[in-house]
Amino acid sequence: MADTAKNTDSTEIKDKKERYKSGVLKYAQMGYWDGDYVPKDTDILALFRMTPQEGVDPIECAAAVAGESSTATWTVVWTDRLTAADQYRAKAYRIDPVPNTPGQYFVYIAYDLILFEPGSLANLTASIIGNVFGFKPLKALRLEDMRFPVAYIKTYKGPSSGIIVERERLDKFGRPLLGATTKPKLGLSGKNYGRVVYEGLKGGLDFMKDDENINSQPFMHFRDRFLYVMEAVNRASAETGEVKGSYLNVTAGTMEEMYRRAELAKELGSVIIMIDLVIGYTAIQSMSEWCRNNDMILHLHRAGHGTYTRQKNHGISFRVIAKWMRLAGVDHIHAGTSVGKLEGDPLVTQGFYNVLREQHNPVDLPRGIFFEQDWGDMLKVMPVASGGIHAGQMHQLIDLFGDDVVLQFGGGTIGHPMGIQAGATANRVALEAMVFARNEGRNILAEGPDILRAAAKWCKPLEAALDVWGSITFDYTSTDTSDFTPMPSVSL
Amino acid sequence: MDTLATTVDLRAEYESSGVREVLDELDRDMIGLAPVKARIRETAALLLVEKARKTLGLTHLTPTLHMSFTGNPGTGKTTVALKMAGLLKRLGYVRKGHLVSVTRDDLVGQYIGHTAPKTKEVLKRAMGGVLFIDEAYYLYRPDNERDYGQEAIEILLQIMENNRDDLVVILAGYADRMDTFFNANPGFRSRIAHHIDFPDYTDAELLAITEHMMAEQNYRATDDARTAFGEYIGLRRAQPHFANARSIRNAFDRARLRQANRLFAAAEGPLDAEALSTLVEADVRASRVFSGGLDSRTAEMEGKK
Amino acid sequence: MRNTQGTFSFLPDLTDDQISAQIQYCLDKDWAVGVEYCYDPHPRNIYWDMWGNPMFDLKDPKGVMMELADCRKVHGDAYIRLNAFDNTRAVESVTLSFIVNRPKVEPTIRMTRQEVNGRSVRYTHEIVR
Repeated sequence: MADTAKNTDSTEIKDKKERYKSGVLKYAQMGYWDGDYVPKDTDILALFRMTPQEGVDPIECAAAVAGESSTATWTVVWTDRLTAADQYRAKAYRIDPVPNTPGQYFVYIAYDLILFEPGSLANLTASIIGNVFGFKPLKALRLEDMRFPVAYIKTYKGPSSGIIVERERLDKFGRPLLGATTKPKLGLSGKNYGRVVYEGLKGGLDFMKDDENINSQPFMHFRDRFLYVMEAVNRASAETGEVKGSYLNVTAGTMEEMYRRAELAKELGSVIIMIDLVIGYTAIQSMSEWCRNNDMILHLHRAGHGTYTRQKNHGISFRVIAKWMRLAGVDHIHAGTSVGKLEGDPLVTQGFYNVLREQHNPVDLPRGIFFEQDWGDMLKVMPVASGGIHAGQMHQLIDLFGDDVVLQFGGGTIGHPMGIQAGATANRVALEAMVFARNEGRNILAEGPDILRAAAKWCKPLEAALDVWGSITFDYTSTDTSDFTPMPSVSL
Repeated sequence: MDTLATTVDLRAEYESSGVREVLDELDRDMIGLAPVKARIRETAALLLVEKARKTLGLTHLTPTLHMSFTGNPGTGKTTVALKMAGLLKRLGYVRKGHLVSVTRDDLVGQYIGHTAPKTKEVLKRAMGGVLFIDEAYYLYRPDNERDYGQEAIEILLQIMENNRDDLVVILAGYADRMDTFFNANPGFRSRIAHHIDFPDYTDAELLAITEHMMAEQNYRATDDARTAFGEYIGLRRAQPHFANARSIRNAFDRARLRQANRLFAAAEGPLDAEALSTLVEADVRASRVFSGGLDSRTAEMEGKK
Repeated sequence: MRNTQGTFSFLPDLTDDQISAQIQYCLDKDWAVGVEYCYDPHPRNIYWDMWGNPMFDLKDPKGVMMELADCRKVHGDAYIRLNAFDNTRAVESVTLSFIVNRPKVEPTIRMTRQEVNGRSVRYTHEIVR
């Protein structure tokens, strides 16, 4: 194909005079499409779900995506000839129609490592999602997955503690951790807020959590919250003998203010602080660095992600956000529940968990993983399952997500008819009973309800919880599903 | 309270437990050893009936299952012990059915306070399975009253008595030395219920074993080579440190070595599978055993294992 | 006060059969199991005393149960826990840890507040028998 003298529309023009003549060329002709390209181990790879405008040639469109996310501009520039432009151009090298979805294509693009600054998520994202999503020939575009070479991974420090260190610090092993978000989110005074934290922790939770929009509002200044919460955390520790924590949200308007809040949390002896995804990638990397230097676990609430992760045809898949956040260095991240009130197909959600927790991800199309990824020993991020889950789903949650996860039962703790402590106890008993039964070799998915009922016989709070919420489910069709059914014969 | 069954179908139990499978395997895989096989069938029958009696509530005791395997080196004691472990597992007398094979060095320490943890370590690993102590009599050194072996013996005896549900101990070694050992340590004799004696293999059996080994590794001997192997067996038996099947395995390994050298030295063109898997007379007859000598280095090892 | 450290402290105290089943789970995953005891169950008392080294290569829980029985004989009024260790790369840590023996009367924990810098408080915890 490269040898043909006559240029077809989708062939790179090799003749230098032709190629750099002033004017407008097709992106494919400029060299952003190369169907023969074999990606190098050191390339960063991206997979886009592309929906071209009516009448736009998919290959030309794919080349445009590659161009606009790397070196291209709309017209030919002679200054390209001052650079090793051939290598700087991203290359769309493969395009497949999305199964059962006319008009959509999976486009594979390879980027040379030199295009990226070491250890800067801002630089990476400015390139990959910088301009290209607004490009006119596209009806819609979604970044589905990325593959990072180990050499690139190693330029990031990754999670400041990671799953193993977190567990060793908390002295909690062999079971999911338990948390709850203090409710109501807004309006509680510091003193009332701390009460909820104390009750939850004393009742059996490992963590309580500030919500994403609890910062420093008129009803509760952050200093008040931190002081009361830490009184509650320490009292609960004394009552149980366990290490307890409460994610103190340090999200604020400036880095300076976030550092001030983090310093206060540290001074008061908290084991964990929290930030929101909306503070931005650079701020997240900075807070991770601070946490690494201060023995602090960093919890990330994915506030805002739904605006760009949810629609299947446009935006960014959460799996990419999960990968970016592992690089950026958070220790916890909300990654979905599948069974709760928030969006999440079970297999796709498991894919997010795998990306956060495994050292090596094989290609796994039903779980939405398009690339093999070696994490180069980067620490593992603890996923958090939160939103509309309750003790009655314990067997499903453990079956889906295993032990390395924080299960957060906010409403399911604080809304318990016998009180917050009872709510916490119900969740902890359900959790321990289920892990215990699983370890004994029982099939918890099938016997889960029986196991819970048996524990409820000696645990009144659990009995009450099952009576109130036992039958609550959120059965809505997911919007973000895999296009591949879990069958070995999948062909692309 | 559990209701007891009123009848037991021994045949069905024999089949479903997989005992039959193990015994058939023993017959198929092991050449010769007729008296050993007979003893094991008897033992299996006894244990099967004992289990049935328990099912019917006629007995509640766990029978003593510790054994001694006596016989010369290379007579199949370890291999049979492995089968025995599988048998006991299928009969439900041990939970896991693995075999932990040790000698004195694994049990006895070098200094004060070393032996108990070492022995216990081995015993913990053997729990749920069979502990095979080869040349068990080395645990006892009558000439040295402060020998640490005595400590291991005491721990072993205690476990053999108190943990009959948890493991089976098989003591193995030469018959005469084992007898002396039992006389000096009556505690062992009384705790051992099954004695199985392993006779030496006959020449014909050893030749059959040779052919079995060769077939397993895709070798074949020419008729002359087979005759040479037969003669080798007779000559080797008369020499010191003869170790039955183990000596034969070593002879076979050395014949392979000579074959390889022969092929390497002679070969000029490509070799086919036939050439690569054929042992000829010279490969066997080059052994020093034929000139009255020993294949020295290995001979000593054969005797000691 | 019931100290709720460990994986199964919210369940009724485990029987030996139940403990064995949990050990079996660990052995099936090829984890080493160790016995540890302590008289000072402070939330941040990391290093309980080891009752011997963790046990490797066991097939059956009985080996661990024998050590546990021996430990109970000597330290019957201590907290005793079983720890499982996974040596898989990127784990290489404890993967299960549960209490299998408690003192007849469990100690309580006293929290002491030290006021510093206005409203800030430093907290320390101390075991009280």
